[in-house]
Amino acid sequence: MFSKAFFKKHVYDIAAYAGLAATFVLFLIFSRENLSYNVGTVLQAASAYAILSLGAVFVYSMGFMDVSIGQQIGVYSILMILISNRMGGTIAGVVLGFVVILAIALVCGAFNGAVAVWLKLPSIVTSLFLMFFFTGAQLLLMESTGNNTISIEASIKPSSRTAYNWIILAAIVVVALAVTFLFNYTKLGKYTRAIGANEVVAVQSGINTTRWKVIAYMTFGVCVAIASFIMLMRTGTAGKGTGGGYAMDVMICLILGGMPLSGGMVSKVRSALIGTFTYVLLTNDLTTMGVELNYINFVKAIIFIIIILITCRKNNGVLPR
Amino acid sequence: MEQELIIEVKNMTKNFGITKALKGVDVKFYRGQIRGLIGENGSGKSTITSILAGMQKATSGEAFYKGQPWDPDSMVEAQKAGISMVLQEANTIPNCTVAENIFAGRFDEFSRFGIVNMKKLNAAAQKMLDDFDIKHIKAADSINKYGFEDRKLIEIVRCVSKDTEVFVVDETTTALSHEGRKLIYDLIHKLKDNGKSVIFISHDMEEILEQCTDLTVLRDGEIIGHLNREEMDMPNAEQVIRYMMVGREIGDAYYREDYDTSHGDRVALELKNITLGDIKNFSLQVHEGEIIGFGGLSGCGMHEIGRLAFGLEKPETGEVLRNGKKIHSCNDAISAGIGYISKNRDTEALILEGSIQDNITLPSEKDLAKKVFIKPSSEKSLSDKEIESFRIKCNDGNQWVNTLSGGNKQKVSFAKWTAKGSDVIIMDCPTRGVDIGVKQFMYALIADMKKQGKAIILISEEMSELIGMADKIVVMKDFAISKEFTRSQDLSETDIIEYMI
Repeated sequence: MFSKAFFKKHVYDIAAYAGLAATFVLFLIFSRENLSYNVGTVLQAASAYAILSLGAVFVYSMGFMDVSIGQQIGVYSILMILISNRMGGTIAGVVLGFVVILAIALVCGAFNGAVAVWLKLPSIVTSLFLMFFFTGAQLLLMESTGNNTISIEASIKPSSRTAYNWIILAAIVVVALAVTFLFNYTKLGKYTRAIGANEVVAVQSGINTTRWKVIAYMTFGVCVAIASFIMLMRTGTAGKGTGGGYAMDVMICLILGGMPLSGGMVSKVRSALIGTFTYVLLTNDLTTMGVELNYINFVKAIIFIIIILITCRKNNGVLPR
Repeated sequence: MEQELIIEVKNMTKNFGITKALKGVDVKFYRGQIRGLIGENGSGKSTITSILAGMQKATSGEAFYKGQPWDPDSMVEAQKAGISMVLQEANTIPNCTVAENIFAGRFDEFSRFGIVNMKKLNAAAQKMLDDFDIKHIKAADSINKYGFEDRKLIEIVRCVSKDTEVFVVDETTTALSHEGRKLIYDLIHKLKDNGKSVIFISHDMEEILEQCTDLTVLRDGEIIGHLNREEMDMPNAEQVIRYMMVGREIGDAYYREDYDTSHGDRVALELKNITLGDIKNFSLQVHEGEIIGFGGLSGCGMHEIGRLAFGLEKPETGEVLRNGKKIHSCNDAISAGIGYISKNRDTEALILEGSIQDNITLPSEKDLAKKVFIKPSSEKSLSDKEIESFRIKCNDGNQWVNTLSGGNKQKVSFAKWTAKGSDVIIMDCPTRGVDIGVKQFMYALIADMKKQGKAIILISEEMSELIGMADKIVVMKDFAISKEFTRSQDLSETDIIEYMI
């Protein structure tokens, strides 16, 4: 069973599971008496990444990526705060804020999918455009408030840490189930994988690729909106730097989880969850191991390149188009 | 006359995992010979030549070249020593010029102080092209300007030189039209006459019988037998060879046996006054239960007709009609019950890095979805049904398509449309690179489809296939119909070729 061919075929999975197992063992060792508290910390840190990575599975399985989500999250957080505060800090205001950012996220998704097709551009170009656009919007919005950070007046975070942990766990589970359903049991997932594997074949098999690219990006948009809300729930504040770096973090999570950047039939939902928890546990481990905060990124860089070297040694590579 | 031995292979084996591709093969190649190698897919013919040409290593056994032990580490080493090979697949470097391709890896000969003298390079490349009598290709042009066939010719120019002692042609001609084939035939005969040795691998029996001086038949990694020219000229040679290849009587039924050209009255697909590029005002009607064959040289426009009919190309004027409804895209075409088997199987018809099941069910997912939910068991049963009826050789539907042989891959690309239940099927070179057993299966399937009332457009570069299968043969030349033939016993290849050139 464990023949050479078996390892070759499952190299992504093996590397991904091994990474998760290693970080998890370290987590158990170094958490010691703080284990239960640490579990909550990891869950909180993982929540936004998990939801973003789950949504990103649709886009990455097509072999595409979206670098604008970090700045989108920044703008969405600020908008939600501004709208709900304007409505007097009521729950209705929060709901309205969420509806507004959900609508914007859907429009951005459609833009990413459709404009790339119409202009025959690689979709990373349209997402770069959105990234710059949202960077500008984020700065302007913050300038208009006259502050460096703004806080939400409505209380959206449960006062009990346990209750809060359960809520985010539930959110991750619900999104994971929804994404699993869409990805494995509906046309959406089957088509995005086919587009990633070979777009010409997808077209000649009757898939309206433009339409499904748009739907895939819009599904991702929904997850971006939810993740923005989850993040805001945790911090209650937003500023000029909110969301920075999230696009790359999501990419790292997916790669660590064994998602090939070229997408295709081998793409799996579990990559998102495995990768996210590997990534978050790794950060947590390094901190509890006493690695100085300033050096954590170097260690992460080394671990990242090692995993890439293991998984990229396949004929077709996993680099994005 | 005693022939001079050039290559001797002794007890060579090659294993790919548990698969034994070669089982202790002994074979000798002589100078002044065009040795055909024939056998079904997976019989080991390409394995022998690829080991000799340095592409891979044998698992055990030895080879001798000009009396010395021969074990090349790379194709470059083999080529320097005089063994050159051209393959079926495209092997040129895109985005470079023709000259750069021809001299790839040999720029040192044209450079001083690290700067390549492009003028000298182009001139040398042009001279090589001219020596091969390939006048229409210009050395300084980008290779992207040239189609598949011309690129093949460029590859030949690259690998055949005055130092070539052994020239291996590995199913290269399958993808070529008549001009390209003729060029290769002339070349190999010239090499033979100059005392070189040619190893010629092909699926095309007629080509082998016409061109080769000797023939070796392989089956399942073993040499079954050798035929000399006299034996190849025997009237029943074809049956004998087929029997040797398959190992059982495959029966006489190969092509359609009937000459019944009747078909339904209803028009299944109509192309109406279509103009696109060089195709002007093209019209065609295909009826239910009718097989229309398209023949011509590779640049005659017949492949474009197939793409147009499937909605892959948008006509400038005119329309494609299915049951009176206009087809705007291939999405429309598929919904209206049209299927298309691309001649570029591995790049356009199949997801190689995907399972057999994923490939078969892809066009049918729409039909399988209940509201939005697609039941995995319904996908599996649809795909298993096709795997069984096509007798696709595999462990199960989860096996990846890139692990299948050429014939089985082609069965998968047929199965996509039978699973979908398409009523009009456009086949572009459906038996390209497919062995006899599978071909026979495909022909029986196509004949059966006709009986079921399906309309078929069969675009083919093999005249015998058109004569054997089509109710009506449309011959194209320079993007227009030059002649139409009705199915008949008296029709010969020369009749058709006359209108192609």
